Amino acid sequence: MTYYALLFVAGFAGSFHCIGMCGGFACALGADPRGASATSLRHVLYNIGRLSSYCFLGALAGALGQVICTSLAAGSQREAPLLSASLDVGQRVLAVMAGLLMILMALRFFGVRGWHGVTSGFGGSTLVVSLRSLLGRRGFAAPLALGVLNGFLPCPLVYAMVAQAASTFDVLAGCLSMAAFGLGTFPAMLAMGGIGRLLAPTWRQRGVRLAGSFILALGLVTLCRGVMPMMAGHGLHHIWHLA
Amino acid sequence: MTPTPDALCRHCLLPVGRRGFARAVNGEACKFCCYGCCIAHQVKSGSGDASEAAWFLVRLGAGSFLSMNIMLFSLLVYSGAFTGTDRRVLPTIHLLLWGLATPAVLILGEPFLRETWSQARRGRLTSSALIVLGSFAAYAYSTLAVFQRGGHLYFDTASMVLMLFTLGRYLEAAGRARASRDLAPLLAAESELATVIEAGQEHRRPVREVRAGMLIRVKPGERIPVDGLIVEGCSHTDDAVITGESRHIAKSVGASVLAGSINLDGPLLICSSSAGGESRWAQICRSVRDALHQSSRTQRIADRVVGAFVPIVLALAAITLIYWVHRLPLDEAMLAALSVLVVACPCAVGLAAPMAHSLAIGQLARHGCLVRSPGALEALAGTHLIAFDKTGTLTLGRPRLVDVASEGVGDDEVLARLAGLERHSEHGLARAIALAASVRGLDPIAAEEVQILPGRGLRGMVHGEAVAAGSAALMHELGWVLPPALCGRAELMAASGHSVVFVGWSENALAGRARAALSFDDTPLPEARATVEALGALGLRVVLLSGDHAGAAARVAAAVCTDDWQAGLLPEAKRAALDQYRARHGAVAMVGDGLNDGPGLAWADVGIAVGSATDLARETADLVLPVGGLWLLPWVVGRARAVRSTILANLAWAFGYNLVALTCAVLGLLQPILAAAVMAGSSLLVVLNSLRLERLPGPCHPSEPALSAPARPASEPGPPAQGHSRALALLKAQS
Repeated sequence: MTYYALLFVAGFAGSFHCIGMCGGFACALGADPRGASATSLRHVLYNIGRLSSYCFLGALAGALGQVICTSLAAGSQREAPLLSASLDVGQRVLAVMAGLLMILMALRFFGVRGWHGVTSGFGGSTLVVSLRSLLGRRGFAAPLALGVLNGFLPCPLVYAMVAQAASTFDVLAGCLSMAAFGLGTFPAMLAMGGIGRLLAPTWRQRGVRLAGSFILALGLVTLCRGVMPMMAGHGLHHIWHLA
Repeated sequence: MTPTPDALCRHCLLPVGRRGFARAVNGEACKFCCYGCCIAHQVKSGSGDASEAAWFLVRLGAGSFLSMNIMLFSLLVYSGAFTGTDRRVLPTIHLLLWGLATPAVLILGEPFLRETWSQARRGRLTSSALIVLGSFAAYAYSTLAVFQRGGHLYFDTASMVLMLFTLGRYLEAAGRARASRDLAPLLAAESELATVIEAGQEHRRPVREVRAGMLIRVKPGERIPVDGLIVEGCSHTDDAVITGESRHIAKSVGASVLAGSINLDGPLLICSSSAGGESRWAQICRSVRDALHQSSRTQRIADRVVGAFVPIVLALAAITLIYWVHRLPLDEAMLAALSVLVVACPCAVGLAAPMAHSLAIGQLARHGCLVRSPGALEALAGTHLIAFDKTGTLTLGRPRLVDVASEGVGDDEVLARLAGLERHSEHGLARAIALAASVRGLDPIAAEEVQILPGRGLRGMVHGEAVAAGSAALMHELGWVLPPALCGRAELMAASGHSVVFVGWSENALAGRARAALSFDDTPLPEARATVEALGALGLRVVLLSGDHAGAAARVAAAVCTDDWQAGLLPEAKRAALDQYRARHGAVAMVGDGLNDGPGLAWADVGIAVGSATDLARETADLVLPVGGLWLLPWVVGRARAVRSTILANLAWAFGYNLVALTCAVLGLLQPILAAAVMAGSSLLVVLNSLRLERLPGPCHPSEPALSAPARPASEPGPPAQGHSRALALLKAQS
């Protein structure tokens, strides 16, 4: 449970980062003329759309991890049915990759840029232009659609969390990790829809740093799970999941 | 060919083709080549909540929401989250999946269904038929399984296939629109509106209805719709569309403005000098539109393949089903057939060439180079030899007086008499003489009864005495004395590659006598040598085919370093020379000024006109370079080669992909969702590969250092550009 709580906090801290872009969308989504409850519904739908995209990505990543691990394990059992050591090997390789990816993403929050070109490429800008046209639309399907598509906008925070989800090697765990993270972003994003851009930039900066630290820590732990000796890794894995 | 104005896709400007359909956007009837373009156009052009634009994205978003949840639960089921004690919730989950899948399939599948239906009524099968058949079969099978409490569910397959295809088509359309970005200002001439002032009132009218003498108001930031003179106001204009050079030119009252240029900073009132449809901009627009309508040979082959694709795939799917149904459970056999249906990707084959073509045509047009047909680009890429005309192409076309050899008279007298005589001529040499005379401060001596003798020279009377200027043959013809000394000097002049003109006159009513020989030189263009060398570096043989005498041709050939030259060629001889080269070197290109070389340009595999002043509609060249644009030629050749290799890579990918993917699908090795993802990715890959052409460097003038690449023309002040920059700003804000 602590694990998901941690992700929730990471999401919460990270949402100060979200305010930059997604917050803009939440603000622009604006108020519904039919009253406060309709406005709230709009924003809740938007956030539910976002959450479902995150959950989907998490489940997909978890499934991918699971498939890779099982196929590795199956392959090894055919050759050397000693113990399920290679399951661990597969998991550890994935954990190392996920950890490195998260560390890379975390460094971006501290101003280290390397992958900028990847995220601001063709797909991203096309998606943003498309999203604009959804903003002004009335009705409740549009905010939902906006949320869903918003969930796929290139975002280092999401990438890092997806990497984390992949390293759980389980569909449900992956989905829940992303759900915890997504729920963590809810308070700030819902507040954004209501109160607008009241938050001072310095606070946002601190939030971004905080999110970066969280992701860095998560990345390091994930990396450790992959790199540490087998028994210790196994033990840590258990602690990790039982905690 | 006379294309109807609506036959290009409103969004990506490619020909509408067989998949095309019409739909009203913002109350305007538009034609689109595919569903993706329709969505993308509506998203782009729609503004605010009034438009129907965002509806498609809502559809995509809501559909994705449903299908993602379906996928989520299906993944959980597959991964064994509902085993053991949780098993009893499975039927509920199945019902939930059905409840999610029904609206998802309806929302996402409706456009495909509609397209299939409208095409089927016209007796055609398109690739959307495959998608509809596949996903609806999966849905129907799974629904049966839910209510009969047995069998596997494939709701995830049904909805994800539809979602991936919708997404793929949208992204593909976005990519294609990006490819045609450069074309938009050129094609605007036919759809642009002009603000005409009639009886003190402003009316918006289509440009083609504007006639000479009408008053037009142009606001800053707008395109000037017609050629004309400024009546009121002053501003700067950017003529990039017409001249290929993006420069800000100051214009004030009385200055002439070109249609198609952008009025940058001040409101202008313009009196149109010709009808709206006659400006060079409108001509360029028609030429580009014609070019987009034509398809190259590669494209025709690809189109034929696409046409045969759908029936073949349907047959393959049926065979797969029949084969596997005897060996596997029904649902697995169906899955294999489904994979066959969705993995086949004729779109990639169909897209391989046209996108690269329109991208290249647009980019070349931005630098003032007009391509008359996409086939010309492909032919240019396969050319091994380029033949140049001399005068006006490799040389300035403005001869200069170099030397005067006179006998018994002063040079000034010769020039003054000659200037008076040549005043009546339009010949290039006449201008050179007038210039030389005015430089020396001479007053031309007036000549009367001037007669032009084509190909030989001219004669007239000065102070009642006969005067003549022209070739040695003319002097012989007139029976005038040609002093041997003068003759010798003239031969020397000719041997060094200069054009020679004899001048003679009679005195005291005696028979005339040649008094002087003048030599003229047509200097090679400053960039000619660099251009020829650059072409040589591209592996092309460069030859000079001149109608001039051998000395002049040899001198120019040596100056610009051509590989070979032939002189004294009449138009027929030029054709024969081209035939010879074609036999030895394969396809040949001919570069000329478009005025004198019409037949030669038409005879070559690729005719290239430089700075053609003729009416574009009567132009015989396949490729028209702007005035003074010879230096662009190596860049154009490079671009043509890049286009060809892009198309070949696209085709290789598309055919290879379909071959491998279909084989895998027939053998039952491919999951349908994976197949759909790979298929959507396949046409995206073709789009992205074609967009790579955009990144190639622009042309670089030989006199400029390579670093200072020519500035891109200022971006159009229109909504798409704003949207793009805003998107980038948003993305920057994000990180």
